[in-house]
Amino acid sequence: MNAVQRFIRSRVLLLTASILIVAMCLSVLVQGQSQAALNRTVDQNSRGLYDVLVQAKADDNGGLMQPDIATGQGGVSFEQLDSIRKLSGTSVAAPISLVSRVTQNLESPRLDATDYLGFNAGLAGTSGDPTATDPSKWPAAESVLSDTPKKYRLTASAVSSDGHSDQTLFKTTAEGSVGKAKLIQEQVAGGQNVRIQGPEGETGIKFPTPAGGSEHNLFNLSVSLPMAPQVTESVVAVDPVSERALLGTAGDFLAPLEKAPPADARNAGAIGRHFESLFTNGISMDELKEGPDFLGVKLKYWAPLMTQYQQAKRDGQLTADSQAIPLIVRSGTAVDLKYSVKIEEIDDSGNVTNDVGTVTRSLDKDYLPFVSKSPFALAWPGSKDLSQLMGDTGSFSQGLYNPATWSTNFAAAPAYKDGETAANGAVDKSASPGDWVTVNRLPDKAANGAAVDQTQRNPVDERSYRENLETGKKLATPLAMVYGTFDAASVKDAAGDVNRLPLGGYDPAPFTLTKDASGTDVNTELKPSLSATGLVSQSAGAITDYYGLAAARGYEQNASVIDAVRVRAKVPGSWKQAQPEVEKLANEIRDMGLQATVVAGSAREDASIAVPGYSKDDAGKESPLGTVQQSWVRQDAADAVSGSLTATNLTLLFLTLCGAALLTGASTVSYIRKRRSEAGTLRAMGWTQRRIRSWVLAEFGVGAALLAVAGIALSLISWSTATAVVSASVLVLYAGAAFVAAQQLRHREVVDQDPQHDERLIAVDSPLTFANRQLSANKFNTISLAVAVGVFAAAVGGLVALLIDIPRAAGASALSGLAAASIAFPSVILAVSGVAVGLLLTMVTGRFELQAKRQYLGTLRAMGWNPDMLGQVRFFENAMVGTVALPLGVVGALGIGLLLAPYAALWAAIAGLVAVLCWIPIATKVVQ
Amino acid sequence: MTNELNLDREAHDRMTASTRRGAHKTRANTIVKATDHATPLELSNITIHYGGGKGGAEAVNVVDDFNMTLHAGEMHCVAGRSGSGKTSILTVGAGLTLPTSGRVFWEGDSLETMGDDEIADRRRALIGYVDQGGALIDGMSALENVLLPAVPDGEVEQRRDMAKDLLDLVGLGRRMRHRPAQLSGGERQRVAIARALILGTRVLVVDEPTASLDRAAANRIISILKDTTSDGIAVLVASHDHELVRQSDTLTELI
Repeated sequence: MNAVQRFIRSRVLLLTASILIVAMCLSVLVQGQSQAALNRTVDQNSRGLYDVLVQAKADDNGGLMQPDIATGQGGVSFEQLDSIRKLSGTSVAAPISLVSRVTQNLESPRLDATDYLGFNAGLAGTSGDPTATDPSKWPAAESVLSDTPKKYRLTASAVSSDGHSDQTLFKTTAEGSVGKAKLIQEQVAGGQNVRIQGPEGETGIKFPTPAGGSEHNLFNLSVSLPMAPQVTESVVAVDPVSERALLGTAGDFLAPLEKAPPADARNAGAIGRHFESLFTNGISMDELKEGPDFLGVKLKYWAPLMTQYQQAKRDGQLTADSQAIPLIVRSGTAVDLKYSVKIEEIDDSGNVTNDVGTVTRSLDKDYLPFVSKSPFALAWPGSKDLSQLMGDTGSFSQGLYNPATWSTNFAAAPAYKDGETAANGAVDKSASPGDWVTVNRLPDKAANGAAVDQTQRNPVDERSYRENLETGKKLATPLAMVYGTFDAASVKDAAGDVNRLPLGGYDPAPFTLTKDASGTDVNTELKPSLSATGLVSQSAGAITDYYGLAAARGYEQNASVIDAVRVRAKVPGSWKQAQPEVEKLANEIRDMGLQATVVAGSAREDASIAVPGYSKDDAGKESPLGTVQQSWVRQDAADAVSGSLTATNLTLLFLTLCGAALLTGASTVSYIRKRRSEAGTLRAMGWTQRRIRSWVLAEFGVGAALLAVAGIALSLISWSTATAVVSASVLVLYAGAAFVAAQQLRHREVVDQDPQHDERLIAVDSPLTFANRQLSANKFNTISLAVAVGVFAAAVGGLVALLIDIPRAAGASALSGLAAASIAFPSVILAVSGVAVGLLLTMVTGRFELQAKRQYLGTLRAMGWNPDMLGQVRFFENAMVGTVALPLGVVGALGIGLLLAPYAALWAAIAGLVAVLCWIPIATKVVQ
Repeated sequence: MTNELNLDREAHDRMTASTRRGAHKTRANTIVKATDHATPLELSNITIHYGGGKGGAEAVNVVDDFNMTLHAGEMHCVAGRSGSGKTSILTVGAGLTLPTSGRVFWEGDSLETMGDDEIADRRRALIGYVDQGGALIDGMSALENVLLPAVPDGEVEQRRDMAKDLLDLVGLGRRMRHRPAQLSGGERQRVAIARALILGTRVLVVDEPTASLDRAAANRIISILKDTTSDGIAVLVASHDHELVRQSDTLTELI
C-alpha cells in the first residue's frame, strides 16, 4: 500500500487536509470578497458631488468639519475662482456664499365666513368667464351667520415650536357683533346700484391696528386678524451654470436664474414700472395665470413684486441704486408655526353662550418665502369656500404688503469648541452662543402708513449662534424678484445623504436633541426657530446669483465674497482611482494661497454638542438646551474605514487559522493513537524508527502536497499577499503536526508491575467520583476536549461580538455604517466558519474516548447501574470538562470581543459562557 | 404459570431443537442432567435477528426459538462456533439486550413487564455479568473495579472487606492495587468474576472466560466458576472450551 493509499485510508489525515483546504479557501475567498465589497462601498460612497472644498486660508480645524461652510464671510475672489476653473484637472468649480438674512411680515391673516351667494345672480356678468358655473345653478343664499347680528369674541394666537418646547408668540382678543349681510339695491343717477350691507346693529370685530376690522364682500364676511409672526430666511448665492453642472438634473430648478438680466439691467425702479404698466394697460388671462414673460422667463409671481415695489416706493425705501434681485425661492418651510383663532358667542355681559370652535392653520408646504400665498386664510367653522363658482378669475396672491428687510446680521456658522473624542471617533463639542436677538417685532407702520399697535405680538428673544457680517458700501434697499421655486427635500434626495459633503449651503444638516437640560435621554429632531440666526436653520429661503449678492450686500462686482468653491476633479472613477489626481488638483489650488480640503473619501459622522444659554424666560433667566447631535464630516473616513474593517477581517482570518491549527493538532493526536499499534507491529517486523518515521511522513506528505497545490492555486487566482500568507501558514501548521506525529510514534518500554494505584485518590462511590476518576485518568484527552470546547466558546463569543458591533467596530461615520453593512455578511460567514471549526474540534477530540466511554458505560450497565446513574456519569464528565473549558471560553471570547468590537466584549464573554453551558447537555446526549 | 412453563421447558430441552438461520438449518443439542433446583433464569422461545433495518442490510437470524432454564447451583454452558449466537444469548439472558421475540424470566418474572430502572435494580441483585476479556475500567485499581457494582447502593465501604476476600478467593489478593493494564488476561477475568460476585449474585453470566488463556489459567477460571455453583449460584457460560463444556451441568450446543 503506497503513501497515497495509506493517506486515503487514514480518514483522520484526509479529513484534516480537506478541512484545512476548505478553511483556507473559505478564509481567503471570504476575506477577498469582503475586502472587495468594502472597497466598493467606500469608493462608491465617499466620492460625492465634489472632491475638493476651497475656502479662504484659515487654520485647519482637524479631521472633523462642521457641515455649514457658507458663512457669508467670503474670502475667495472671482479672479481666484477663474484660476481654479482654468486648472487642467478641474471639471466643475461651483462657488457659494451666504448672502443675507431677510425678514418679512407675512400677508395679513383673515377669517372668512361664507356670506350671500344668491345676490350674485344679478351680477353674473361681472365674471365674464366662460368657465364659471351658470348662475342659475348656483346654490341658494346661505351663511353661517344669523340674520340678526350676534356678539362674538375671537381669540387669535400663534405658537411656534423648536421641536422641544412651544413658544407663544401672541394671544389677542377682540369682540364685536356680526351677522348675515344683505343685498341692497339703490337707485342712483343713471340706474340702479347694488351693494352689500351688514345687518342693522352690527359692529364688526376689530383687532388692534393694523388688523383692519371686518367687512362683507362678494362671498364672505372677512375678519382681518392680528399680524402673523415675523419669519426670517437666509439667502445664498451660487453661479447657476456651475451649480447645475454640480447637481446634475437635481439642479434644473436653477435654469430660470441663468436667464436673469445682467447687473446693469436690474434697476428696481425700472422693473417695477414695467410691471406697473402691465397692470395698468391690462393683462391677458393667460398672463395672469402663468405670469407675464420677462426676458424669456414667465414670472408667475409678478404681482407680489409689483405690490412690494409700490409699497416700497410709497414708503420712500427704494433709491435709484436699488436693484431687483432674482430669486429661486424654497417651497414650504420647516418652521413649526401655528396660527389659531378661537371663536365664542357671548352675551351682552361677556359670558360665553356658545363655543363656536377653534380654527387652526400651520405654515407648511404651501408657504413660499417672499410670495406668501395666504398662509393664514382661516374659515369660520361650518363655512365653505365657494368662490370657485365664479370660475378661473385669474386671481393671484397679492403677496406681502411690505418689501422684505434685507440684513447682514447673521453670518458665520455657530462656533464650537472640541471636547472629548470617543473611542469610536465621535467628538463631543460645545456650542458658543452669540448675542440675543429679538424676533417677532411688528413693523412701525401699517400698509396705509398708520402706526401699528405693538400689543399684537410679543417680541421673543432668541439666541443667535452667528455673528454680524461686515458689508460693502451702504446698502440700497433691494427688490425681491421671484424667478422660480425649488424643493429642498428633492435636492437633498438627489444629492443623497453621504454625498452631501460637507457643505450645508442651502441644505443644512439637521440637529437632534439627545439629552435635555436635565440630562434625560430624549430623541427629538429640532426645528428651526423664527430667526435665521438660531442654532437650527432651515434650508435657504432663496437662491440668487452673484449679481444678486452684490446688490444685497452693496459690494462691488469683484469683491472677495465667495465663501467656498466646490471643485469636482476631471478624473472619473472611484475614489481610489481618482485619489492621485484629486490630491494633485488640491495641491495646485493650495499653491494659489487658498485652503483646499479634499473631501472625497470623507463621510458623515455624528458630533454631540452641548448647547448652553439657549433660551430665556420672562424673568430673563437663561436655560441650556441640553445635548444635541449633528451630522458633521469626518475627513479621510474612507481610509479609516478601510483600515478598521480590514483589521477586523484580518483578525477573523487569524482566528480561523488558530482554529485550524487546533484542529490539526487534535487530528494529529487522533492519528497517533490509531497508528501506535501499527507502529508497534512494524517495529516487531524489524522496521527501524527512521523507517517508521518516513512511513508516517510519507502519508503526511500527501496531505502537504495537496495543501501546497491548493495554496499555490489560490494565491495565483487571488494574487494577494494575504492568500499567500494564509496558505503558507496552513502548510507550516500541517508540517509541524506531521513532525510531532512522527516523533510520537517512537517505541516506548512500558513494563511496570509496581502498584500504580494512589490511595490518596478520592474513592469511587458515586457517579460524580467515578466521572472525576475517569477524567483524571485520561488527563490528556480531558484537557484536549476542554481546550476544544473553550475554542468553540471563544469562537461563538467572537461571532456574537461581530454580529452586535460590526458597524461600531468600523467607526462612527455614515460611511463606516454602509461599508460595515456591505461586509457584514462575509464577515459573519467567516465568524460562523470559526464557530464550525471550533465545533468540529470538540467533535474530533470528543471522539478520542467516545468508544472507550461507551464501553465502560456498557460495563457499568451490565453491573446494574441504572440509566439515571449512567446519565449522571455522562453529565458529570461533561460538566467537569465544561468547568475546565469555561475560563478559556469566557476569557477567549472576551479577548476576541475586545479585538473585534470592544463595545460588545461583555456580550461576547456572556455568549462564550452560554456556549459552554449549552455544550454540556449536548455532549451528554451525544455520548448516550 | 411458571411451573407449567418449566415443565414444558424441561420437555422441550430433552429434545433436539431445529432452528433456521437464513437459508441454513442449524440445531441446538441440549444435554440435560437431572436437577431440582429453583429457576433463577429462564429463556423462552428466544429469537434474535440482526440487521434488516432501514439501511437495507439483509436480516440475519442469529438465534431462532431458543429455550433454556437455569437452576440454582447449576452451570449451563452454551457452546458453539464463533458467530453462532453464544454472546447474544448471554446478553439477552442478562437483560442487556432485548430479543427479537421470546421472553426472559428472572426468578419467574418476565422482563417484558419491567422498566429500565427495575431491570437495572433486579440485575444488580440477581445477575453478575462477566464480559469477554473482563471489561475492567482503566484508571481504577482491581479493588476499585470489584467495588464498582456497590456504588449504586452506596455500599462501597461496607463491601470493601468482602471485595478483598473475593480477590483473595480468585488468587489476586496481592494485586488488588494494580490497574487493569498491569494485569494479565486471566487476572483480568478473575477480577471480573470477583466483581460479578460482590453483590451476592445468584446468577453468574460469563462470556468466553477462558478464551486466549493458557490451559493452567483456564483451569483456574473453570475451578472458580465450578466453586461458585457449590454456593448455589447458577452459572451461564458461553464457551467452546472442551474442559469447561465437560464440567458444566447442562449444555446447549449451537450449531
